[in-house]
Amino acid sequence: MDCRKNKDCLKPKENGRLKAKQYGRREFLKGAAKAAALGGATMLSGCGTGLLGSNDEFSLRWKEYFKKNYRLMTPAEKDETVRRLERLAKIRTDADIQMSAKAPIEGVLFGYAFNVTRCEGYMECVAACVKENNLDRKSNTQYIRIFEMEHGEMSPEVGDGKYFHEVPVEDHFYMGVQCYHCQNAPCTKACPVKATWKEPDGIVVVDYDWCIGCRYCIAACPYYGRRFNWNEPQVPLEEMTKKQHYLGNRMRHKGQMEKCTFCVQRSREGRLPACVEACPTGARVFGNLLDPKSEIRFVLKHKKVFRFKEELGTDPKFWYFID
Amino acid sequence: MTKSFSKDLTAFIKDTLWWNLSGGLGYQLYLCFLAALMVLGIYAYFIQINIGLAATNLSNIVSWGFYIANFTFLVGVAAAAVMIILPSYIYKDKDLHKVVIIGEMVAIGALVMCILFVFVDMGGPAKAWHLIPGIGIFNWPTSLLTWDIIVLNGYLALNLLVPTYILFCHYHNRKPDEKKYRPFVFISIFWAFGIHLVTAFLYQGLPARPFWNNPLMGPRFLASAFAAGPALIIVLLGIIDTVTTFKIESQIFNKLRRIIVVAAIINLIMLFSEIFKEFYLPTHHSLPAIYLYFGLDGHNSLVPWIWTAIGMNVTATLTLAFNPGKNNPKVLFPACILLFLGIWIEKGMGLIVPGLVPSPMGEVVSYAPTWVEIAITLGVLALGVFIVTMLLKPALIIEQRFESRNTAAVG
Amino acid sequence: MKTPTLKNCLLGILPAVLVILSGWSVYSEQGGVTRIYKNAVAPFDDEKKLDSILPLAQKTVRVKTRYQGGLFWTETRKDKIERFRCSRCHNNKDVTIERAAEMAHGDIELDHGGQEKPLSCFTCHKEDERDFLETERGVKVDLDHAYQLCGQCHFRQKKDWVGGAHGKRVSYWAGQRVVKNCTSCHDPHSPLFEKRWPKTYSPPYN
Repeated sequence: MDCRKNKDCLKPKENGRLKAKQYGRREFLKGAAKAAALGGATMLSGCGTGLLGSNDEFSLRWKEYFKKNYRLMTPAEKDETVRRLERLAKIRTDADIQMSAKAPIEGVLFGYAFNVTRCEGYMECVAACVKENNLDRKSNTQYIRIFEMEHGEMSPEVGDGKYFHEVPVEDHFYMGVQCYHCQNAPCTKACPVKATWKEPDGIVVVDYDWCIGCRYCIAACPYYGRRFNWNEPQVPLEEMTKKQHYLGNRMRHKGQMEKCTFCVQRSREGRLPACVEACPTGARVFGNLLDPKSEIRFVLKHKKVFRFKEELGTDPKFWYFID
Repeated sequence: MTKSFSKDLTAFIKDTLWWNLSGGLGYQLYLCFLAALMVLGIYAYFIQINIGLAATNLSNIVSWGFYIANFTFLVGVAAAAVMIILPSYIYKDKDLHKVVIIGEMVAIGALVMCILFVFVDMGGPAKAWHLIPGIGIFNWPTSLLTWDIIVLNGYLALNLLVPTYILFCHYHNRKPDEKKYRPFVFISIFWAFGIHLVTAFLYQGLPARPFWNNPLMGPRFLASAFAAGPALIIVLLGIIDTVTTFKIESQIFNKLRRIIVVAAIINLIMLFSEIFKEFYLPTHHSLPAIYLYFGLDGHNSLVPWIWTAIGMNVTATLTLAFNPGKNNPKVLFPACILLFLGIWIEKGMGLIVPGLVPSPMGEVVSYAPTWVEIAITLGVLALGVFIVTMLLKPALIIEQRFESRNTAAVG
Repeated sequence: MKTPTLKNCLLGILPAVLVILSGWSVYSEQGGVTRIYKNAVAPFDDEKKLDSILPLAQKTVRVKTRYQGGLFWTETRKDKIERFRCSRCHNNKDVTIERAAEMAHGDIELDHGGQEKPLSCFTCHKEDERDFLETERGVKVDLDHAYQLCGQCHFRQKKDWVGGAHGKRVSYWAGQRVVKNCTSCHDPHSPLFEKRWPKTYSPPYN
């Protein structure tokens, strides 16, 4: 039943009346749940700051707590939650953020290629990613990892991911790993509440607020592509990227899963992800796989490419290539 | 009819509550001890809620640890009740029928613990409603975790339903209508296999984790569960035999021992088969096994544990198989405890941690639970023991009363 | 033994159907993303699909060759050279200031071409017209179009650069294609990247 409902909601054009009815029922059930969850929820959703700080904040947080999964929201509801989150950020941390819920662009399937020959291990991408995606500075969360590899090897599993010395080192090469945005992503299959899924433009995203934090997706990911918020993430206000996306770099909370989103807040506006833009050597190629003239298609056509752990059938949209 | 039923029900509940609360000083102290552990667990859990799962030693590499290890093991304990239900209801075994209620109560306690272990392992309690079908989203049938939620709760319901009905009838000195509960017993038998297979599939279905992605996982889960569960029940029966007036005949111990021996031997054969596969021609995928049995890159915190576990398993299996004491409790109980602990280590931490280490990117780390994890685990275990006690105490009184009345009537 | 009835078989049929269904779904998805992108041959209209692409702040120049999508642009060079135009000093009169070369170009460390075949100034710079570069064949090349000169030796890199496997795009993956020029990233006098400390480090795992 639930599956079907979900599917219906993904096709907004068809069967509007039926949908309205279902939403009605949903709301009703939710109302019943609200009463039940009232006691526990108010007690437990408080994360330290004064719960009854202000009436406005309380009502915003109340609505936030009972909102739907992002995929079931209508465009209007998406807009509402985004405005709510902006206001909450203003009230709680005095941050002026602009959040969007921009939908995927039609005819776009994002792909990524990594030039193993060109990467010199400067880790500019890692720093740019941390900055752009408002990653937790306390636990030093990073989406990208760079492995220093000796010649004669081709798998990050045997590389050194902890190097910190002058790079590049002779007789070594560098390999970056991050979420590969698998077309057949095992993490999305694992999630018991459909809090993570593959968007039509191929980006595997997480609805942070829907995630229950069971971490089954970490276990299912063969690429170490997902990160968990073990503590409440901390980003200094002056370092925060204010231009945010609901599925992208908005602030997460403890107990939620997060991951690389190909910088959805940038890529859906035609911009390059932060790592690609920061790369000083041009080792990172990003583009639309469905566009025959794109750079990524050129790489796939003219270069010898390979994918990591291809035998697992995950079908990553992230290729490595060698000059 | 309904009025008398509600009267019956009130009397039933009243008496069970009274029986549970009354007892000697030893019993009261025992309850206090459990309560203290639970309070400790609750305190630790509030710490965990406050600072997040950073209060544990879990990391993005070892993302599941002590909680899930205990969860996995206890699913086995819960499933093992079927080893008593099956012979007593299907093969009409009179001896085992006498203790079937104990098996079911143990299953209930174990299931509550399982559900709580998953619950405390979650990112926080506030979002748990997202899992409730109807108001949340339930990714069924795609996600194995949803299957697990269904089977665990279903099994809990089944195990609550049937014994409560039988006890209720016995309490009022009526014979329970077998037609009414038999279908549920049958379902619960399949369900018991289901809960453990599904839990195994939870791990087995992940190609990302070669240590888990192993078709033997399901059968091995069953074999180890059918050894560890009855072992626990033997110990429990021993305790009941000594501390209560409910006496257990020695044939029951012997029958349970035979069940354990068969399951434990199958478990050891499968363990040997797994070890052979990992070490005859080791591949990259054998690294977790090497990490577990010998240590990797200087990380060998699991090594003493797993060898202890294997030693315990082999010793206990041989002892139970050759039965040197002829079911002498002084040999039988230690052997059962050894087997239980051995399987707890092997199927708990020995299964979960190597599945996650080395990480998909080849990193090797060590994991040991923090005091918060241990305290919460103790709290949950105490709650489980408490529940089993609360269920068993009235159950045994009712059963005994029913039996004595009936034998008196016959005599 | 009872003969198996349909009811008894039901338990077997259900898993069988499940297995067949999942097998079929695997079968129908084979080829995966490779097939998806290989089937995508229709051109992607950047202008229609994306309205969020803003004009770039930096000056660009149209590259004198085409890539698979037609025309593309590259970053200019001349406005980034401090002392351009060169002909302000290098005119038809002799430079008379003492140690002028050292003062003006002392910062240049020429490390291009290796030890066997070191390049000199006039391998690339046009000797008689200093505002320009010159290829081996004597074709005059504008500094903004340095790729034409670099591509003489580094023809493989140039091919990749035109296609998109070498170098990188500026800011946008879509819209008008603007790429970095060779000299945007490489110092033409010493084109190899320097050894230096990484910008950050990976957090230690216990």
